[in-house]
Amino acid sequence: MPSRYAYQPVREYHVVVLGAGGVGKSCLTAQFVHNEWIESYDPTIEDSYRTQVSVDGRQVVLEILDTAGTDQFVAMRDLFLKSGQGFLLVFSIASRSSFDELATLREEILRIKDDDMIPIVMVGNKADLEDQRAVDRARAFSVSRSWNAPYYESSARTRTNVDEVFIDLCRQLLRREDLLEEQARDDLGQKLDDAAAKKRRRRKRKEKCVIL
Amino acid sequence: MPMLNSQPVRSSLQVAPLAIQKTRGNGSSVADSPDPYSQSQITPPATPNGSQEDLYTQAQEHLQMETDMANEPPVFHNFLRAFYPFQPENVVTDSTVTLPLNEGDVVLVHSIHTNGWADGTLLINGARGWLPTNYCEAYDPEEMRSLLKALLNFWDMMRATCGNDSEMFGNQEFMKGIIAGVRYLLERTHCLTRESPLVQQHDGLRRNRKSLLSELSCLVKTAKRLHDAQRLTNVGEVNEVVDEMILRAFRIVTKGVRFLDVLEDERRPLVPTIAATTAAEDNHVPPTPPAESSSFVAGYGPAADAASRAEDDGETAERAQYAASDVARSLTPAENRLSSVYTQNTNARRLSQAGPLQVHRPSSTLSHRLSIAGSSHLAHSQNLVSEKLNACHDTFLSHLGSFIGRLHLQSQSRPSLARAVKQSATSGGQLLVVVDVVCTHNSALIDVLEQSRAAMYDRIQELVHTARDILANPRSDMEEDVIIPQDNGRLLGAATGCVKATGECVAKTKWVIEKIGDFEFESDNGSLGVNFDLSALALVREEKDSRYCPSESASIAGSTVSETPTASTAISVTSSTAVPHVALSIDKPLPDVPQVTSPITEHPVSHPLPSGSRPQSLPMRDRASSVVQTASCSRSDLPPLPRISTASLPMDTYSPLEPSSTNGSDFRSFRSEVMTASSSGSGSTYLSRDSESSILSQTSTRATTPDSTQAPRNQPSFSDLSTAETASHAEEVDDVESRLIEKTFAHELVFNKEGQVTGGSLPALVERLTTHESTPDAMFVSTFYLTFRLFCTPTALTQALVERFDYVGESSSIAAPVRLRTYNVFKGWLESHWREETDREALDLIKEFAEVKLAAILPSAAKRLLDLAEKVSVTDGALVPRFVSSMGKSSATGTHYIPADTPLPAPAMTRSQTNALTAWKAGGSSPSILDFDPLEIARQLTIKQMSLFCSILPEELLGSKWTKLNGAGAPNVKAMSAFTTGLSNLVADTILQYDEVKKRALVIKHWIKIASQCSSLHNYDALMAITCALTDTSIKRLKMTWDTVSAKRKEMLKSLQSTVDFNQNYKALRARLHDRVPPCLPFLGMFLTDLTFVDVGNPATKTSDTGLVVINFDKHTRTAKSIGELQRFQIPYRLTEVADLQEWLSTQIDRVREKDKAGANTQASHYRKSLLLEPREMQQLRTAIEPPTPAATGSGMFAWMRSNSATSTTTQGGLSAPI
Repeated sequence: MPSRYAYQPVREYHVVVLGAGGVGKSCLTAQFVHNEWIESYDPTIEDSYRTQVSVDGRQVVLEILDTAGTDQFVAMRDLFLKSGQGFLLVFSIASRSSFDELATLREEILRIKDDDMIPIVMVGNKADLEDQRAVDRARAFSVSRSWNAPYYESSARTRTNVDEVFIDLCRQLLRREDLLEEQARDDLGQKLDDAAAKKRRRRKRKEKCVIL
Repeated sequence: MPMLNSQPVRSSLQVAPLAIQKTRGNGSSVADSPDPYSQSQITPPATPNGSQEDLYTQAQEHLQMETDMANEPPVFHNFLRAFYPFQPENVVTDSTVTLPLNEGDVVLVHSIHTNGWADGTLLINGARGWLPTNYCEAYDPEEMRSLLKALLNFWDMMRATCGNDSEMFGNQEFMKGIIAGVRYLLERTHCLTRESPLVQQHDGLRRNRKSLLSELSCLVKTAKRLHDAQRLTNVGEVNEVVDEMILRAFRIVTKGVRFLDVLEDERRPLVPTIAATTAAEDNHVPPTPPAESSSFVAGYGPAADAASRAEDDGETAERAQYAASDVARSLTPAENRLSSVYTQNTNARRLSQAGPLQVHRPSSTLSHRLSIAGSSHLAHSQNLVSEKLNACHDTFLSHLGSFIGRLHLQSQSRPSLARAVKQSATSGGQLLVVVDVVCTHNSALIDVLEQSRAAMYDRIQELVHTARDILANPRSDMEEDVIIPQDNGRLLGAATGCVKATGECVAKTKWVIEKIGDFEFESDNGSLGVNFDLSALALVREEKDSRYCPSESASIAGSTVSETPTASTAISVTSSTAVPHVALSIDKPLPDVPQVTSPITEHPVSHPLPSGSRPQSLPMRDRASSVVQTASCSRSDLPPLPRISTASLPMDTYSPLEPSSTNGSDFRSFRSEVMTASSSGSGSTYLSRDSESSILSQTSTRATTPDSTQAPRNQPSFSDLSTAETASHAEEVDDVESRLIEKTFAHELVFNKEGQVTGGSLPALVERLTTHESTPDAMFVSTFYLTFRLFCTPTALTQALVERFDYVGESSSIAAPVRLRTYNVFKGWLESHWREETDREALDLIKEFAEVKLAAILPSAAKRLLDLAEKVSVTDGALVPRFVSSMGKSSATGTHYIPADTPLPAPAMTRSQTNALTAWKAGGSSPSILDFDPLEIARQLTIKQMSLFCSILPEELLGSKWTKLNGAGAPNVKAMSAFTTGLSNLVADTILQYDEVKKRALVIKHWIKIASQCSSLHNYDALMAITCALTDTSIKRLKMTWDTVSAKRKEMLKSLQSTVDFNQNYKALRARLHDRVPPCLPFLGMFLTDLTFVDVGNPATKTSDTGLVVINFDKHTRTAKSIGELQRFQIPYRLTEVADLQEWLSTQIDRVREKDKAGANTQASHYRKSLLLEPREMQQLRTAIEPPTPAATGSGMFAWMRSNSATSTTTQGGLSAPI
């Protein structure tokens, strides 16, 4: 990660879109970053995958990493995952195998990021193909619950829930950062106030607040 | 809304106030006739509603429809048609020209003033001047659409080229549009051939059709003359011809209009024609009824408007309110018509044609058509909002750019930083103002802009904040005057954020402008702008703690108003003076300042018409004053019904800034003798289209007296035209008729601003491919060959080509060349672009075509084609190989980069290395990677990879084929990516095989050296593979190992890594590849990503202007461009192959790959291995103690390797080894 991003006051997050081939994840990305005011989409320019969104009144710049096209370069995946701060796990509701693959991907993320709380959003794409559904919605939902990740069904074709999944991820990222900041502040306070138990209680309370 | 009609019409009440009286003093100085009305008693326009009252019910029906469409975004209409005659008393004054209108006249609109006057050109005679829009309605019948569009393009092209651009004239593209437009008209009306029943039955129709065709033939002839003149490079002559062509094109449209009118008459003889009774013209054919589909935005609540005025002007409030509401209630049919043309302002409803933009348009004075030619450098005026936007954007970017550039100089002095930020923020503020003007201009589309505008604002503010923080907190340990690098990073981030957000915002703004029409925008540079609080940058470091409120201030007023959080898009304006201000109140509805006024009949000539509201070009600028104006106007309204015949137009200088009106004599003529196209004097300073007019003024004789009305001959009436000079060139008519009947699909093509085809139907694309006028564009042809299977089947293409071959036969003049081209397309396909597996289906059709149709006309060509057809089915690969990259830089020329006689470099191999390999081949133990020179390893890898890369075929890269069916359709892409992945795995494997930290470090160092050599060879694919492996978690986490690697090597790795960094969309790598001459091996994955996103990010079809869904050829052009770029690098290195080393490398990679095939996850097994070598706990302890070397592993890679090959899976081998 270029160090220059580290100090940016406006939040900038790197989001990685993952999923098996053919689940339409690149469509999802293209739909999201494609400036509809520009008639023709050129993916070769620097800003092609950067976009700014407003989440709850806060401006967030998202740089989206999509492995589309380079899935075969397995060795690169590690690097991709490492650079991501939040992840979209995309499968196609019409493909069972694409759904099953997510578990492996998630494990890989957890291993590489070494972080159980990493923001993840699970996306069942191609929701417009309801008649070909191969993944039960309830099942997908229960899996997402067990991963502590929100679940969306989207359709890049009809542009349903495209922005929503990215914004949800942003929200998680922002919340996480706020939380970390608060904890850092708490920790600082704790140094002054030596009572560890007190601190823990306070932190717990704050956590709840954030979630609310 | 319909109920508004229930009240009897009192036309006097419908008159909108005219808000222009204040410049009257100005105007009277130039007036040549006394103003019979006092300043405040401006006579409203003469709208002939009285005569149309009988159309009441009809209009009512319309109204309902219009109401339904009330929320449609406003549209700028390019063409208007007069439905009532208009005779200004004084056509020409010293400074302005007012055009007389005959009923049915069609006008090309350049811009429309808010007061209802439009700057337009009469198609009937090419005269340009002001005309009252309330006499007109939008003209856009479906049948004419293609022709009208073609005329606009024609006009813009003529204007843009100025007769000097031989390229444009060479291909006669501009003529095709007109011809296709005429054809479209005739086709839609079922009158394409002389024999069609309609034409046969109706004499009038026949005559008009003939007249139209004759005019077209004139244009064709003139165009030919132009072509010749071009050769003579006689600029004067060329310009003359260009002028004539423009006139001719106008006349074609005029005749087309007339033709359509006649047709409409024939079709609907029973429908009472609207203007027949009132037409001033004698035998005039009534115009078509008003276009029904025009947009209409309901006026913004009149009461509210009036109320708002009431606040400001108590005295007139009552009156105003009365007037306003009365106006609203008393819509007449005429108004309905008008409103169908434009969206209206409330009290100005009936008069305000000016509302093409829309209701809430208090600010601008003029709205302009946005020309496809963009803002011409020839344009004189700088005050168009689109130009202003571009200019501000440029300024802002250049400031930011130089700022960013300076940031790279590490030691930045504080004052210069402050200055740069200040500059950037100021220019950014100015840009925001422009955006805001667009916002205020149009409330309907504000939502679109709001967010990106807010984003942009935030980013600029962010930049200022960052700079302020840095300036305010000098580091004590640093030299006071210097900004430390870390802060540089922050600033850099903020600045690039600005660039991005701005780009987005500007793009959206442009889109909006395009939608609503360009308009005039005037600002004193610097005198206004959204200013950011830059005080913190004022080099006063003491104000460290001064609270900063995020506010914008109007710089003139100097007052700073803190912004509420919700008003992020609203700039509070505090100044109570008449200082120009921009109000950004996006949340609240824009005020209805009734500037939208009507043409004033019987108004003194001296009245300056647009100038009056010109100072109001800034929203809010003098809202108060305009309110006063309008209020007083509404009080002074209620004029008598206009006496049309005596109606005179107010004319005057437009620009109060130039009272002397020096432009007055600046009339232009297209052809000075015959017709005078008079243009308003202010043209060069005022109008959007004036760039055209200024060209004309350069090219044509300056007629000092634009006496267009005096000479009847110069002013053919609409009805005159139809009978004019038709007989004279009957032959040519036949000629052009035959040309017209040439079937063409030219109108089904879509071009971009650079003139490239971006879309088209298959027949249209095929027509383009086989065009006879010019050699087909190479890029187009190769794109077509490469990608046609993505948008049609080979059979469909064959059929389209055969059809082309057939239908061109109807036009004898071009049949021969086109047929030859058609044959050539087939030939090229078979020779170089044939793909047996997919194209086989078309072969029989092609053969049949060759045997029958082609043989009948071009026997030898037919023979050749049959020959080829026989061969393709038996030959594997192209008969005549051709690099597709002829589309980009030719691959053939690529070989020139390294002359063939360059001596091959000698391999860096020692005797012992060679011997080791020989021994290995003979079954001995395998050497280690450490045994070889990094340079030679890099070379051999490069040779191997390049041979894979060169074998990639363009078709493998189409339609994301490599991602489908496990890459079956793209074997070479797959092989290449597999090799790259294999190399990565090999790197990890060779490192992890050693149990000793030092050995691992040694291997790491070795690979860094190899990577460095790859970089020198410009082998970015290998560089990517190696650096990826070295930074892979399983390697990266080996802290003890890395501690042993020297800092120098680590630094080296870092810089190598940065060249293939995928961040910012491979920015660094793209920069390197951009000008790189082969030999060079780019990272394939980057191209694959690009191609994937071109594929999914661009739709397969697009909709053309005429509403036709066509192939999105732009998508395919992008694909071809990307593939061409890849092919540019498909040139082998000139390096000596060391076969043994190659073999050894391949074996090593295969060995690693074997594990993949065995089903084990290589990455996971590497990770496990890594954990065993340096367990987590140990890392946490950070002990420098090396782990005990397990005896079982033996020593070196061989033992481990052998154990691997013995146990079939890595997992087991890896796990068992260290324990």
